[in-house]
Amino acid sequence: MAEQVKKRIWERLFKWCKSLAGLTVIATVVIALLATIDRGGYVLVNTIITGGMTALVAMGLALTLGVLNIPMFAHGEYFMIGTLTAYYVFTPISTYVNTHPESALVFWGPLITVVAAMIVGALAGVISEVLVFSQLRKRSRENWVMNSFLLTVGLSVVLINAHQLFFGADFKGITRYWAGMPITVMDVYISRDRAMAFVLAAVVVAAFWFFMTYTRTGRAIRAVAQDETGALIVGIGLNGILLLTMSLSCALAAIAGAGLLFMYPSYPSVGLEPLYMAWFVVILAGLGNVLGAVMGAFMVALLKVLTIEYIGSGWDFVVPSALIIVILIFKPSGIFGSEVRGVLDK
Amino acid sequence: MLLEVKNLNAGYGFLQILRDVSLTVDTGEYVCLVGPNGAGKSTTLKTIAGLVSPMSGEILFNGEPIGSLPGNKVARKGISFVSEEMNLFVNMTVQENLAMGAYTLKDKKLQKDRLDFVYDLFPRLVERRNQLAGTMSGGERKMLAIGRGLMPNPKLLLVDEPSFGLAPLLTENVFQSLDTLVSQGVTIMVVEQNVTKTLAVTDRGYVLENGRIGLSGKSSDLACDAHVRKVFLGV
Ligand SMILES: Nc1ncnc2c1ncn2[C@@H]1O[C@H](COP(=O)(O)OP(=O)(O)O)[C@@H](O)[C@H]1O
Ligand SMILES: [Mg+2]
Repeated sequence: MAEQVKKRIWERLFKWCKSLAGLTVIATVVIALLATIDRGGYVLVNTIITGGMTALVAMGLALTLGVLNIPMFAHGEYFMIGTLTAYYVFTPISTYVNTHPESALVFWGPLITVVAAMIVGALAGVISEVLVFSQLRKRSRENWVMNSFLLTVGLSVVLINAHQLFFGADFKGITRYWAGMPITVMDVYISRDRAMAFVLAAVVVAAFWFFMTYTRTGRAIRAVAQDETGALIVGIGLNGILLLTMSLSCALAAIAGAGLLFMYPSYPSVGLEPLYMAWFVVILAGLGNVLGAVMGAFMVALLKVLTIEYIGSGWDFVVPSALIIVILIFKPSGIFGSEVRGVLDK
Repeated sequence: MLLEVKNLNAGYGFLQILRDVSLTVDTGEYVCLVGPNGAGKSTTLKTIAGLVSPMSGEILFNGEPIGSLPGNKVARKGISFVSEEMNLFVNMTVQENLAMGAYTLKDKKLQKDRLDFVYDLFPRLVERRNQLAGTMSGGERKMLAIGRGLMPNPKLLLVDEPSFGLAPLLTENVFQSLDTLVSQGVTIMVVEQNVTKTLAVTDRGYVLENGRIGLSGKSSDLACDAHVRKVFLGV
């Protein structure tokens, strides 16, 4: 019995390795290792840290695509909302900590900041769904993809300008979340902030994966993504799921924004770079494929790090873009196929 | 009366399909709705299931109006709809699909009982429990769709075209399962194009033509009716 199970697992693993998804993942790991041997451990470390945060933004984007069928171009603005919230929450905390170095806020301050950003991001998502997307959904579902896309572009412009109007166009940043010496891994110095940013990403991705796979509500979200009518038939209320999904996806982007505030100070269009990165990932992984987005995030991160390393830092958007074009020509459904049916199938 | 549809008018957008449709289903009955392609049979079921909103008319379930409820609320009242397209969750396994069918059941023990019940009815699904629904054959998917519909222990099961696209042997299989269910007290309303077969197994039937109910009565009488024989059976 145990023998058989073992054999089955091996067979599956073997089959997966030979599939396109398996080959790409293996190739990514091999290339990452070769580059690490060639240039040093920081290549790997940078890839993993960039990849973790990209995964947060990309997962949210994949979720809006897969569940709500919205090609979201305002997703970066929820990242921006995360940075802004984090800035206004953490600045007073760090002033206080400077004069009270023994305070418990030294440890809890950054965590409070991230939670605050998450809550504000989730609220922003709820407001957008209620005021914008559900209004469109009520009026017409014809040409939904195009219309909702145009709405997201408008929303993005409004949010960027609202930031500029109310908070100004200057850079609002912090020096660091965590004081103390950098950590050394494989002879590479990693600042505590970057290490913690990765830990944060790993924890959130794991929690999110658990939620989507094992909880009743997570399964309902996947069900809606795979077949809306089927979901209705089994008694799942669509409006609740759509609202929840939107707020989840915005919260994920805001968490990423807060986690990276030490690298990306808050300014009106700070969300554009993460937005592009997330779109690269989502196209690579297959539209609406939430778990594939995690893998894809690390691939895009590797591609970016390698481009900077071997070609030059001005090229780090050109090479991924070129690759996306190639992928769209040869495998329009993305490398991982689609765990959920994306916009294109509906 | 379990289900009472009175003077129902419904359609898609401005396009009206159903005109003054009235029908009833009593607890424990096995009722069929037959008619030519495009008559509006699926539309009738979809309207009862809350997936199409009525333009006018009444739908009463246990005496309670359900015409204005969305599909998920209708499902919670105890109506399971097995659609023609089946609407399975293609990237979930057989077992996960069945678990989703029990979405409205909170009680873990009850969920387990229902799962055993469905696996008992369709032993084929047990073998396939870890297979993705999207990779199964047409007949297996039909069984899964019916099984998923049975998971919440519905008061009324609406089945659209159980035999559509199935080989004769599988058709026989699916009809036998429906028979078993009826003998266990499940109320079923079935829509079919396979008129001979359906009229042979059901208690009562309605004939739908161009969105109107033309004839109704005991299935055995309908099977002998001159009009029915001429239009559907070509005799
Ligand atoms: N989603 C839809 N939008 C517009 N018209 C539809 C839709 N679904 C079905 N119809 C039309 O409604 C009529 C009845 O269809 P249907 O109820 O599926 O018939 P049946 O199930 O009896 O074959 C057909 O003319 C069909 O073209
Ligand atoms: Mg039909």
